[in-house]
Amino acid sequence: MKPLSDSDPTQFLIDFYTNLNHDIIDTDTDLATVVDRHHTPDLVQIADGRRTDREKLIAHIRPIRKNKPTVRLEVHEAVATGDRLAARYTMHVVNRKRKLVMEVCTFADFAADGRMRQSHGLTRTVSNELIEQESRA
Amino acid sequence: MSTATYTVAGMTCEHCADAITDEVTELAGITAVAVDVDAGTLTVTAERDLDPSEIRGAVEEAGYEMAD
Repeated sequence: MKPLSDSDPTQFLIDFYTNLNHDIIDTDTDLATVVDRHHTPDLVQIADGRRTDREKLIAHIRPIRKNKPTVRLEVHEAVATGDRLAARYTMHVVNRKRKLVMEVCTFADFAADGRMRQSHGLTRTVSNELIEQESRA
Repeated sequence: MSTATYTVAGMTCEHCADAITDEVTELAGITAVAVDVDAGTLTVTAERDLDPSEIRGAVEEAGYEMAD
C-alpha cells in the first residue's frame, strides 16, 4: 500500500476503505488475513468511546462479509501530516435489508506501509428523514 | 411472559445493535429487545416461551453469530 505521506489524503482514505471492503466482501480471503493486510497487529480503533482491537475487528467484519453490503465513502474534508490523518466523511452502506448513512469524524494514524495503526472517531447516524431532506436540497 | 439473555459475537457499535434488534423484533410475540454491545449480550422478552433456535436464526439473519 502507498504510504499516507506520499498520497492525497482524500484519495488515500477512499482507497483504504475501497481495498479493505473489497477484500472483505468480494473475496474468500481469511478474515484475520484481511485485517492484518490493512491494519497493524497492535491496532486500536475507538469509535464513540468503544474500543476495538484486532480480535474484535475480525469478529466485526464477519457479518459484513455475510451481508455483502455496498459501501460508498463520501469524503467531505481530509488533512494529513506525516502518517496522521484527520477526516470528516459520510459512509453510505446498503445491504439486503438495511440502509445506513453514517457521518464520521476521525483522527487516524497509519504505518509507513499504509496500514492503519489507530483511529479515534465519533459517528452520527443520518436518519432516513434527513437523508430525504438532504437529497432534496 | 419469558425473558432470556444470549451471547452474540462481533458487535462493536450501535449499528450492530440496531441490525440485531430489527431482526429479533420481527419475530412473533416479542415485546422487548435489549442489546448490550460492550457485554456482547442480547436480552429478549416475549409474551410466549422463547425458542433459542428461533432467536439464533434472527441473529444469523442479521449476519452475527450467537454463542452456544
